[in-house]
Amino acid sequence: MFGLSFLSPLFLIGAAAAAVPIAIHLFYRRAEPVIEFAAMRYLRQAPVEQSRRRRLRELLLLALRVAALTLLACAFARPYVSGSAAGLNGAATIVLVDTSASVSGPGQFDRARERATDVIRQAPPTHAVAALSFGPATDVIASLSQDRAGALAAVTRLKQGAGATRYNAALQRAAEEFGGRSGRIVVVTDLQESGWDAVDGGVPENVSVEVEAIDGPATNLAVTSLRIEGGDAVAVVQNYSPRPAAEQVLFAVDDRRLGAVAVTLQPGGNAEARLSLGSLESGALSASIGDREGYLADNVRYAVVDPESAISVLALTASGRPSESLYLERALTVVDGAGGFRFKAVSASGFSSLDSRALADVDVIAVLGTRGLEQRGRERLVEFARSGRGLLLTAGPDVEPAVLKQALSGVVSTSWRARNATPLAFTPDDARHPVFRPFGGAGTLGNVSFTRAALIEPPASAKVIARYSDGTPALVEERTDRGRVLVFGSDLNYGWNDFPLQPAFLPFVHEALRYLASPQNARADYVVGELAGSAGLTPGVVNVGAAGRRVAVNVDAREADPRRMTVDAFQSGISRLHASALQEARAAASQQEDQQSLWRYGLLLMVISLAAEGLLGRRLG
Amino acid sequence: MKTGESGRPSELRFLDPAVLARLGTLELKARTVVEGFLSGLHRSPFKGFSVEFAEYRQYLPGDDLSTIDWKVYARSDRYYVKKFEEETNLDCYLLLDVSASMGYGSRGVTKLRYGSMLAASLAYLMNRQRDAVALTTFDDTITAMLPPSARPSHLRSILVTLDTLVLGKRTDVSKPLHLLADGISKRGLVVLISDLLDEPERVVDGLRHFRFRGSDVIVFHLLDPAELTFPFERAARFRDIELGDELMAVPAVVRQPYLDALHQAIDGYKQELGSAGIDYQLMDTSTPLEFALMSYLSTRGRAR
Repeated sequence: MFGLSFLSPLFLIGAAAAAVPIAIHLFYRRAEPVIEFAAMRYLRQAPVEQSRRRRLRELLLLALRVAALTLLACAFARPYVSGSAAGLNGAATIVLVDTSASVSGPGQFDRARERATDVIRQAPPTHAVAALSFGPATDVIASLSQDRAGALAAVTRLKQGAGATRYNAALQRAAEEFGGRSGRIVVVTDLQESGWDAVDGGVPENVSVEVEAIDGPATNLAVTSLRIEGGDAVAVVQNYSPRPAAEQVLFAVDDRRLGAVAVTLQPGGNAEARLSLGSLESGALSASIGDREGYLADNVRYAVVDPESAISVLALTASGRPSESLYLERALTVVDGAGGFRFKAVSASGFSSLDSRALADVDVIAVLGTRGLEQRGRERLVEFARSGRGLLLTAGPDVEPAVLKQALSGVVSTSWRARNATPLAFTPDDARHPVFRPFGGAGTLGNVSFTRAALIEPPASAKVIARYSDGTPALVEERTDRGRVLVFGSDLNYGWNDFPLQPAFLPFVHEALRYLASPQNARADYVVGELAGSAGLTPGVVNVGAAGRRVAVNVDAREADPRRMTVDAFQSGISRLHASALQEARAAASQQEDQQSLWRYGLLLMVISLAAEGLLGRRLG
Repeated sequence: MKTGESGRPSELRFLDPAVLARLGTLELKARTVVEGFLSGLHRSPFKGFSVEFAEYRQYLPGDDLSTIDWKVYARSDRYYVKKFEEETNLDCYLLLDVSASMGYGSRGVTKLRYGSMLAASLAYLMNRQRDAVALTTFDDTITAMLPPSARPSHLRSILVTLDTLVLGKRTDVSKPLHLLADGISKRGLVVLISDLLDEPERVVDGLRHFRFRGSDVIVFHLLDPAELTFPFERAARFRDIELGDELMAVPAVVRQPYLDALHQAIDGYKQELGSAGIDYQLMDTSTPLEFALMSYLSTRGRAR
């Protein structure tokens, strides 16, 4: 159902002005002047207006005037058609059923469906009922109506998913479904603690939220990572239980078993299972375990073996000595081949002498030093950035900001300057950014200690994706015409920080370089729900794009964590949303109104009404 | 005795000296031969009883040889013809419409007042030429009638009558015309001054009655500028000045149809009256009387 809503309904008061022409029409009707005339015999031969027809025209004129004023008021009130059942009366019960990977434990999903059907059956008779399923996305499986049989059937048909839990997005979607009604939302979920997503959702004050908690497994083993390092397949198995565990990791390529590796896991710990791939050059690699007590969906992980997918990184250093890019080189060479990196370092002066063919297969240039960078080298750098490839600019001791500013003028606007040494920490400003995807929030990034950092001055068009503890930008993303540039406000070679010594360094560098290379070198690893279409809803290796490129789709690693929150904690999470719910609703409405721009049509109709009124008024004298 | 705006006697207020001065240089010539006693510019079958010398004029080819003054020729060896100020016993009937519709005037001068001035001017002109002038006023019937007379005192009676006119009732031109036509025993000149807001066929029939009796007829069709242009802007109720009934009309809508109907009627009068040998002159009451009168007389002069 759709309804008309207004962004600024107070302007509708202005529609009261429509009463003015009505009042004038009813109470102050101007008597036409009487003119004495002699040559009436000729006037009678003219088509003089009949009173009844004139009255009709007067009414039409009045209607046009009222319409013009009303349309003007409506245009100022900024109307929009809301995509929900706005304007419907009566209360409603909306059931949100969790279909994420975290309800894939033994019997969990069946219990969730039973609870959901119970809620529908027990809903107050006066309530309309709707059913929504949620995982990475929220789907309306039964629209708001009195058709309970339909809602029950929809819940019965519901199938287990493998996506991540996103409470806020689901609650927000359910709140939209209310469309101004009052009522309640019943969330049937396992209360997984990691399910609070970054989407700011809002639940109206007149809608209560109830939780039907589904028990989950107490333990869980999950394959949280699968990568290829130096010709080996490396799977990481995480133990989420409070007791030790032993597990066999089974590796397979294209459903052909490669081998099994036994791992022993400490309580809450993880272990790597490594298996040589031998002469294998390409294929769909999988690593699976046989955990039957925990979530089933996270027992397998996939990766694509494709040597062509390696990202070529060129490090620009001051003198070209290996020590100037040592840590970056080590971080990248651990993952070579498919999904890995090809690393090469060159001095700034050497870079100046490179021809364009030498840069043809480079995906990302990491600028670690600029001393000796000549004019020709600067021009090469600009050409590279403009070609749509990635640039990683580090504000380390060997990088001269003035040189880069001059060299990249017109392409990169972010600049920086030196500042006094101050101990700083580092935290993501946008935890959802792909660079921080492996960290699940701040994670271990908070352990990085900076002794010195540059003061980055980003332009308004740039996006700050990480900040230092003093609030200044630490990592800034800027877009060029076709490519991406990341500016890191310190060095990456153990000069001004201990980042290279931290566990977070390797995934950070990997993800940052993959992100920079992604316009050229598309990702080969996705989580369930990221890819459009049904192909992205099931873990496995799928073909995407016109060329049929193979990519791996895996369960979000956060879904493997069985830690649960209490109902009160869940409710408190929602209550925090209450304060911003109205603002969020208004922002959403504003966006909706902005997209529809119905006010333009209102004004156009008003102008047409006024034009018609003018023509008709002229005929009426 | 009443006095007019200029301090002159009220019965003389129609006789603007400027108008009279110009009229004095023009000649009213009837196109048809009428009965009369005097010869002169009117081509009367009766040679005149009295001839009053006016001036000499050089002979021009075509002049009547009997009018050449041979004595002057003997003295000056040039041909001169003697011009006379003619007198005639032409009876001129001024018919003035005084119906209620004549009381309409959008710019201060009603059609009745304008018609009165026109009648007075013509009466003065006729009287100066020693023509017998009669005045008849009418609405749907005859309201006043002064018999034809050429005496100067009669002019004064006519002017007094014109000055004391009272608006009548409905227009019915044909009925008084037929009554008058029946009452006229001699051929003469009939001047009708009216807004002709009547059935055109009946008006033309009445005037043809005069033609049938041998009289010359001149029609002055008086119309107010507002009647000619319909300048109204706002919707209004138009009240018939004679009948009192009202009509709601939007000028923007009815203007053109009204003007079409009016001009159709005017064209009809021109055609019908012209074919009956009746002079027709449309007079806009905003036009100064002297211009209108001179224009007409010039037209008559050229037509001779």
